[in-house]
Amino acid sequence: MPMTMMLKGKLKLPEKARRVFPDRLGSLVAGFDDNKDDKGGPDQLIESGEELETFQPNGFGLDREFDEDYDDDDGKSDGELDLRVRQKPDKEAVASVSVSEIIAADEKRSDLEYELSQKEINLEKLQRIACSGLPNEGGSRATAWKLLLGYLPASRDLWDKELTENRLKYAKLKEELLLSPSESSRKKDGLNSNEQHADSDVDGPLERHDVSHEDHPLNLGKASVWHQYFQFAEITEQIDRDLQRTHPDMKFFAGDSSLSRKNREAMRNILLLFAKLNPAIRYVQGMNEVLAPIYYVFSSDTDEQNAASAEADSFSCFVRLLSDSVDHFCQQLDNSAVGIHSTLSHLSELLKTNDEELWRHLQFTTKVNPQFYAFRWITLLLTQEFDFHSILRIWDSLLSNPFGVQEMLLRVCCAMLLCVKSRLLSGDFIANLKLLQHYPEINIEYLLQVAQDISPDTSSFRPSL
Amino acid sequence: MAAYRADDDYDYLFKVVLIGDSGVGKSNLLSRFTRNEFSLESKSTIGVEFATRSIRVDDKIVKAQIWDTAGQERYRAITSAYYRGAVGALLVYDVTRHVTFKNVERWLKELRDHTDSNIVIMLIGNKADLRHLRAVSTEDAKAFAERENTFFMETSALESMNVENAFTEVLTQIHHVVSRKALDIGDDPAALPKGQTINVGSKDDVSAVKKVGCCSS
Repeated sequence: MPMTMMLKGKLKLPEKARRVFPDRLGSLVAGFDDNKDDKGGPDQLIESGEELETFQPNGFGLDREFDEDYDDDDGKSDGELDLRVRQKPDKEAVASVSVSEIIAADEKRSDLEYELSQKEINLEKLQRIACSGLPNEGGSRATAWKLLLGYLPASRDLWDKELTENRLKYAKLKEELLLSPSESSRKKDGLNSNEQHADSDVDGPLERHDVSHEDHPLNLGKASVWHQYFQFAEITEQIDRDLQRTHPDMKFFAGDSSLSRKNREAMRNILLLFAKLNPAIRYVQGMNEVLAPIYYVFSSDTDEQNAASAEADSFSCFVRLLSDSVDHFCQQLDNSAVGIHSTLSHLSELLKTNDEELWRHLQFTTKVNPQFYAFRWITLLLTQEFDFHSILRIWDSLLSNPFGVQEMLLRVCCAMLLCVKSRLLSGDFIANLKLLQHYPEINIEYLLQVAQDISPDTSSFRPSL
Repeated sequence: MAAYRADDDYDYLFKVVLIGDSGVGKSNLLSRFTRNEFSLESKSTIGVEFATRSIRVDDKIVKAQIWDTAGQERYRAITSAYYRGAVGALLVYDVTRHVTFKNVERWLKELRDHTDSNIVIMLIGNKADLRHLRAVSTEDAKAFAERENTFFMETSALESMNVENAFTEVLTQIHHVVSRKALDIGDDPAALPKGQTINVGSKDDVSAVKKVGCCSS
């Protein structure tokens, strides 16, 4: 209980959300807190979502370029999808703005700009601003994310020095780790001995280099540098295959343009370097999706130098972001307290705490194991569930959560279940699995508000009443 | 039955898994079969994806519940849960990438470790439309399939070649095995939809109906 109150006190309700969901939300949320099997709950949920339709879009700003073909790959074959929510596509609801909302957005932007221009950034204030969404334009999201991830220190004076150092460090790492054994041994030779030696590559067989048996390319031993190199060639292929499939609907990532090729190259470097530095995890499919928002946001920074250093900055921030969830990618830890199964059961507990009826229905009646849908939600930080703009918006909330990315992530996942409660309750195993694997379009602000108001998982402690 | 909708009318529900290395085209085979769609730019599958389609086999409606799994090693430990109750498997490789064919053996072992020994398996050489890039010959794959006692077809999800045939063949074979099995143990189709492991006959039984499938379009 104290936790809830603290949360609510700390994170003020975004103005916009308050206007869009006036009173209903309060009672709804109270319903969740009460943890009663309130039959009215789910219907209210959908209804209050539907009210959004009254806010008609007036064609404001969102880039259509990023709209996903979510409709297309949905489980429409089944015809089971409830159309009520689909009729009001999220992009329209989000894009729907009134004059007062434009003013509110302006205010928020200047709040943010003011905060970011301070000599000493107040992280708590920044978190409060960011959790209601950062502007898509300009470079403030890039700066804010770097601060929220702790990549930039709070005091502005240190930024230049810090960035320069980090970028240099990255360049060095790349040089050390992304060269082939022959390239690096040649380099070593070049450094340690004379020119003649370096030429022997061309003049004679490789053996004349002082290649130890361990380091011979044909040595199958695991410690051989060539063995490692070939292994990484495989990983590189895997990374390339996945980068080809990263947001294939966006010109920034996909296609044959020089821009997208440059971006894929940078992302490949980052992922490969991560794999080399983390031999126990290496590259796991899906890391490309986690990297994509970071790299996109940093490359779109209006500050040219920052944009040009997006690769180096993204690498550091990617590592920071993964630091508290990297265990989800690690097979050896699957069944440990930090592994993915444990996180999935936390989600289950959270749902149970907030809506036992729905939890029971999923767990026992339809037997939809969270592993079947939430595994991807959690390991990929929701990057395959929504369109790109919505992902960025959700990440604003994840990154600005004072209790950490994972805590907010589980709230959002739980909110995703609550927001389709009535459909889940009427669905069977197949219908529910299809619904959750192809999550319907939804108003993101609404979803995040529900997430924000979820009571924490109390399974570990029972509050005295 | 309670968990399934009354309006969802079918005689049998068969769980089929799609396995094979990353990037061989599993998801596109699935979307081609269940939605008649193909995308050169589909996202990589993380964890598992799921789709269904009902077809008529002999005089029965068979609903296929198809689980598409991630190809990468890391996901195998997690996906092994998805094998539970599977009565059919499409083991897919890419005819243009020999390594994906080489790995078929490992997939087969894993499949046999996690499923009923009588599961109906079909080896699928996908991307057969890329004739100029072919790296695995039809003969090699056919010989392998015969040796391993699995069905075999080459497909192209892009050109929609043999996809329908492959799934239909697997479902038909499962149906045959199940009906013959039903004669042995008494008919209880109601037990099937609950996703339990179905014994699809003794090893010899299954072998008896296996043949190498057609590989031309």
